[in-house]
Amino acid sequence: MESIVSFCFAILAAPFLSAIIMKVKAYIAGRKGPPILIKYYTLAKLFKKGSVYSTSTSFVFKLGPVVSFCSVVMVLLFFPFAGIKPLLSFHGDVIILLYLMGLGRFFTIIAALDTASPFEGMGAAREAYFSTLAEATLFVILLLFYRLNGSFSFAAFFTGPTAINLWSPVASLLLLVIFALFIVLLTENSRVPVDDPATHLELTMIHEVMILDHSGPDLALIELGAYLKLFFYSAFITCLLYPFQLDNVYLNGLIFYGIMCLIYVFVGITESIMARYKMDLVPKFILTSFALVFFAAILTMEFVQ
Amino acid sequence: MDTFFLSLAVIACGGVLPLLMHRHFTTMKAGSCVLIAAGCILGLFDALSVLLHPGAAATYSLPWLHIFTLSFQMDSISAFFLVPIFIISPLAVLYSFHYMEKPEHSTRTAINYFFNAILIVSMALVACADNIPTFALAWEIMSISSYFLVVYDFQNKDTRQAGYLYFIFAQGGAMFLFAAFALIYSYTGSFAFTGFAAIPDTVKLVVFVLAFIGFGSKAGIFPLHIWLPYAHPAAPSHISAIMSGVMIKMGIYGIIRMYALLAVPSMIFAQIVLIVGMVTGVLGVVYALGNQDVKKLLAYSSVENIGIILIGLGVGMLGVATGTQAMAFFGFAGAFMHVFNHSIFKSLLFMGAGAILHKAKTRSIDQLGGLLKRMPVTGRTFLVGSLAISGLPPFSGFIGEFLIYYGSFQGIHLQRTSFILSALAIISLAVIGGLATACFSKVVGLAFLGEPRTDKAAQASEVGLSMKLTMIFLAGACLLIGVLPEPFVRLAFKGIGDLPLVAAYNPDTFIVILRNIAKTAALFIALFLAVSILRKLLYWRKEVSAGPTWGCGFTRPTVRMQYTGTSYAASMIDFYRPFVPVKTFYSGIRKIFPGQTIYHTEVIDVAESKIHEMIIKPFFHLLQMLRWIQHGNIHLYIAYIVAAIIVMLLFL
Repeated sequence: MESIVSFCFAILAAPFLSAIIMKVKAYIAGRKGPPILIKYYTLAKLFKKGSVYSTSTSFVFKLGPVVSFCSVVMVLLFFPFAGIKPLLSFHGDVIILLYLMGLGRFFTIIAALDTASPFEGMGAAREAYFSTLAEATLFVILLLFYRLNGSFSFAAFFTGPTAINLWSPVASLLLLVIFALFIVLLTENSRVPVDDPATHLELTMIHEVMILDHSGPDLALIELGAYLKLFFYSAFITCLLYPFQLDNVYLNGLIFYGIMCLIYVFVGITESIMARYKMDLVPKFILTSFALVFFAAILTMEFVQ
Repeated sequence: MDTFFLSLAVIACGGVLPLLMHRHFTTMKAGSCVLIAAGCILGLFDALSVLLHPGAAATYSLPWLHIFTLSFQMDSISAFFLVPIFIISPLAVLYSFHYMEKPEHSTRTAINYFFNAILIVSMALVACADNIPTFALAWEIMSISSYFLVVYDFQNKDTRQAGYLYFIFAQGGAMFLFAAFALIYSYTGSFAFTGFAAIPDTVKLVVFVLAFIGFGSKAGIFPLHIWLPYAHPAAPSHISAIMSGVMIKMGIYGIIRMYALLAVPSMIFAQIVLIVGMVTGVLGVVYALGNQDVKKLLAYSSVENIGIILIGLGVGMLGVATGTQAMAFFGFAGAFMHVFNHSIFKSLLFMGAGAILHKAKTRSIDQLGGLLKRMPVTGRTFLVGSLAISGLPPFSGFIGEFLIYYGSFQGIHLQRTSFILSALAIISLAVIGGLATACFSKVVGLAFLGEPRTDKAAQASEVGLSMKLTMIFLAGACLLIGVLPEPFVRLAFKGIGDLPLVAAYNPDTFIVILRNIAKTAALFIALFLAVSILRKLLYWRKEVSAGPTWGCGFTRPTVRMQYTGTSYAASMIDFYRPFVPVKTFYSGIRKIFPGQTIYHTEVIDVAESKIHEMIIKPFFHLLQMLRWIQHGNIHLYIAYIVAAIIVMLLFL
């Protein structure tokens, strides 16, 4: 029961948290910013609308939003929020979940290519390129965690007595991992400095340009999927930061969402004080995360016997 | 073994029949299809019964030419490799029924069917050969029959060159094999396979390296893969499907067989295989990404998948060398599973490429586009094949890769080199997976989606029934294995049953994981259906209209402005620059009123250019100096022969 509530709450809270980033950016820029519930309004507006489809597109175009949305929801079903047992979990689930996210990406890419637009093709190529690099980092993190406590699922990483977090003896390694994960978060969710979701020129976009032709409920599914994806990566980092092992579920939940808010604020601050990197610098930025976690993995050769 | 030989006899009849009745084009094709399919089904039943009811391996032997004995044995490894042979080959032959549709080439088609049947028979014999002469004989028949299949379109110069290159690699590889066999024979003095384990360990290493080079040139390991991207585009598509789906796996079979026979749990074998596998896998997929010729791309993708299989084998060998049972078990099982899966989706993709070539008359992705609307069945099946080969759930490719991942993760608790190697195996699998996704989203997205870039692509239409049926069957198999993996994985577990060194391991805990994987896949499909219905509801009674693609303010877009395969891959290729040089030719703009300009880029295969530069050129130079021996004077040639005989009589 707890698991179902926490899952539903996560889905409902994700748009709210995404709005925090906008609010923080507006605050730093000296503006008032949109209302804090802006993302819900956007979703409601989009769900009410109809769609315009390009004559170039086929059924793949309509499949894209559905598949990418489903893949993210699948990941959240397996993720323990605030130390609460997830709805589903089994030894080895992390691999199939990462690959399901890959499936979602595959369909986003081919849906973009389906429009025959050169801009969307460009965005698709960049998305494909950067995610291959980010994926390598994630797999190193998995093997590092496997070496640390022999577990192979999100639930086992973050719950139970051997949970992996900053309060355990391997904290020094995890600092590297958290930093790397933050880079992956920025990459996979198309945030500054990898991608600028608020830019005006299609040539400089990555994710936004891929969904130019989507509209109405299709676009709403994509947007909601994007909020959930950001929520997943932030929750990943949150679980590393703090062990949710108190007996009181509500207190755990409160701390969890508190840290989550801090991470979103941090993303907002990063976006406000950094400019987007030139495209050819982005791979180096992502590879930094790979180097960090690979270094952490090498360190385990001495630390963890 | 009687059923096995009966099935081979039926297949051979299916090959001879077209030669006899090549005047009746359609009857000949139908008769040959029926006989080959019947033989293959019979053989498949035999192989499966051996796999499912393990017992003493069946053997058979007969004397040949009074000095040799031909002996055969079907253990679980042989039986497992027979399964793809007997599944893919009849489907490819069925596909060819509508693919080979030129009655004016009747004789040539008959010969193609003949060699095709011979190839199937010889592959089956390779998998069952149980001593050196039998193996060598079957191996050579396999190489030569496939050579004749490659040069089907012999009037084309490129095809002849591709065939020549393939022939050199096949025979060059065979030389290495014979060297390995000869070395063994010099120690054991017997042709039997059973004596291999008795030779000294240092010799075993040399034998293994020689055999690895020989078998690797057939399988397509880097840098011996360079015949693949030439032979596959040159061959008819159903032949590419058999060669890439099944025949190159015989090289893998050879490596496994050699490893099993030498029976030495040495670390160095694991390191060689694993490192070669990683290099082959990553570079294979990068070259695939860089090529815009669909069949060439698929050939490089075969190189990549051979890399994945070798990583699996290497992980297994590492498990054997370090005594990590689970690692050994799942590494080998993963490699076996991937052999099986790859045979299915790669033949599906080659058949799809054949359909494109057949109807759009071009193989270049940069000239295709919008084919999904024009070829709905080919497009949808190709999409399924692409998802499967990218290793994405809920399709078959994921299952094999998951097994290999699982095996590699078992090695994470090891120390030092073994840990690093396991970690590198995982990282390279992840990188290969990501790049394969990029590569196949390129093929699907640019060839099948969007707008046709040329008139040729715009005029394409759906292919014939037999071609559609085979592709639908194979696509269905990809989904089935992804959703219900258990029986197939159990088959792979049975397959490694007779592999020595791999201790018996109880896979029950893994079977539980596998069932969970299957449930997750099913849940995903259910969720997908639910969201699709939800989407339908959201669009209920809403205004849905059609319009042109948003051109970002540009009002006169043309189809030529679409992103091309070259531009899609450019930045990814650039990342791997030292290994993947790009040759660019640009005529430039020189006059005030510029005329037509040309811009051409081509990805250079570094293995090919280096082999050409470092081996072929010096070798050719050396041979140039020996030209004086070849003077065309027949008397002196006879003198050479006499001299050679005298020398041999005196010294040997």
